[in-house]
Amino acid sequence: MSAGPYNYSYIFKYIIIGDMGVGKSCLLHQFTEKKFMASCPHTIGVEFGTRIIEVDKQKIKLQIWDTAGQERFRAVTRSYYRGAAGALMVYDITRRSTYNHLSSWLTDTRNLTNPSTVIFLIGNKSDLESTREVTYEEAKNFADEHGLLFAEASAMTGQNVEEAFLETARKIYQSIKDGRLDLNSSETGVQHKPAQPGRTTLSNDAQTNKENCSC
Amino acid sequence: MAAAIMAASPTSNSSASSTSVSLLQRQSSKNADTVSVCSTSSSMCPDRHGFYGGNQFSEKPKKETLTREQIIAREKKWIHMTSHWAEYMNTNYKKVRERCRKGIPGAVRQKAWFLLTGANHLMGKFPEGYRQMLDQPGNPQIIDEIRKDQHRQFPHHEMFIDDDKPGQKELYNVLKAYSVYNPTVGYCQAQAPIAAFLLMQLPSEQAFWCFVAVCDKYLENYFTPGLEMLQRDAGMLNRLLKKTSPAAYRHLQKHNVDPLLYMTDWFLCAMTRTLPWDTLLRVWDCFLCEGVRIFFKVALVIIGATLGPQKVRAQCNGLCETLAVLRSPPKKFLEEDFIMHHIFRLNITIEDFHREHKKQEMLHRKAKLEQQKTQQQQNGGGSSSYGSGRNS
Repeated sequence: MSAGPYNYSYIFKYIIIGDMGVGKSCLLHQFTEKKFMASCPHTIGVEFGTRIIEVDKQKIKLQIWDTAGQERFRAVTRSYYRGAAGALMVYDITRRSTYNHLSSWLTDTRNLTNPSTVIFLIGNKSDLESTREVTYEEAKNFADEHGLLFAEASAMTGQNVEEAFLETARKIYQSIKDGRLDLNSSETGVQHKPAQPGRTTLSNDAQTNKENCSC
Repeated sequence: MAAAIMAASPTSNSSASSTSVSLLQRQSSKNADTVSVCSTSSSMCPDRHGFYGGNQFSEKPKKETLTREQIIAREKKWIHMTSHWAEYMNTNYKKVRERCRKGIPGAVRQKAWFLLTGANHLMGKFPEGYRQMLDQPGNPQIIDEIRKDQHRQFPHHEMFIDDDKPGQKELYNVLKAYSVYNPTVGYCQAQAPIAAFLLMQLPSEQAFWCFVAVCDKYLENYFTPGLEMLQRDAGMLNRLLKKTSPAAYRHLQKHNVDPLLYMTDWFLCAMTRTLPWDTLLRVWDCFLCEGVRIFFKVALVIIGATLGPQKVRAQCNGLCETLAVLRSPPKKFLEEDFIMHHIFRLNITIEDFHREHKKQEMLHRKAKLEQQKTQQQQNGGGSSSYGSGRNS
């Protein structure tokens, strides 16, 4: 408790989207827990994960919304895109159909987020080379064409998982530094937090202040 | 207070247990518990519900508050009731409800659930139905989706732990047969844990017809594309919460916590991924007798208890923090005694349910009309506005 809940400067909201079974929850789990979940329960509605990372010596809290992939959940999950600073769009390199659906996921993302939202395309299950159905080059071309960041990753081995989440954050932070992101708008998915509210600002509740101070 | 213990090994093969062996099974299940107490994440022997580990694993043996005589007496009452079922349901439903609320003894639960759901009538009407549906090829896209999910349901349970166990095959069969039976719904991912849960209680054909009753009657329109009923019920839950726990309600409003963010899994999976097993069985005893209202009550109790203390609300100073607590509430609030005690002591009446239901229906109809209007306007420009004028 003593450090307070605000030992970070920013909160970035991410969403993870893509067809069912491409490994969205496993990527999130690998990123937050550094572990592979072999029999991961499928997501119904939405799940959440958080992790504090560091970009340019700034502590940033990632608030990650992991959505259900099945088509019929889109009626509900579409409302979660709003205010996302980053979108991780995932397909499975061993199932072409999940790649073919990307344009529909991209349309949703473009329509439901704002122009500054950073979109990272992830080709998951890169460890399953022998059953690959989508080549790296093909997906890379798609990403370039639509202005997306791109990497192939593996939630199983952890390869590139960290990089995808961090690269997205770096890109968002760059936008903040360049002044392209309005921190006062809730639409951008970025919130600024005071470093230590208990110390820098006078709290109007002296009682809670005392309780929080354990030094 | 607490009643029904499940038989030691509730796989569908052994679930045909008769009353006479039930006490023996209880004995052996208790032995199994004493062994499994020492391990936490993954045990060498399953708990009394067949789990080797995972969230559902029951570490402690069940505290039996009933004497042996009481259990036998209850079993006898239930056996009498199940053999005079139509009579009881037609003339003395309150008695059935009261007994369901006390908990159905494990030894008769299978029979009771089969009757409560009316699955016996469905199976009587289509005696060859299940097999015929299995023989049909089914929709390839749905089949593909079911295949992807069949190994992901309760992977720590003895029936589903690997694909050479009968569970996964039976689960596939039930889900596939249902998608043939009701092609409008087809397959919704939230149905898989419900089907798996039923397969732990009943042999596959009976489980299938119970599943049909639950999906088409109890949770009607929950799984259809668009999930409209769920969205309506989310609104209803919120309104009821305002009455039962105003402080928790205000907190959720303040931090913009939409009910769909925490209740979707609870309602769509019929609590199977939320409650510990002993609680789940008791809640389902009531759900199958009284309907989805029971899930509302369970949800209201969980939210009220979790966000009740001012201290907790003060700590949950944002959307994420609040959801983190709601999505994994303190274990004590999910325990059988706690939930079963509180769900029947909420300050809401059946009239509250009816009133809120009507309100939500109206809101929904209004929203739909609005949507149609804007769609018409978008599609046909000027001419459509005449059309909508005529309709109104």
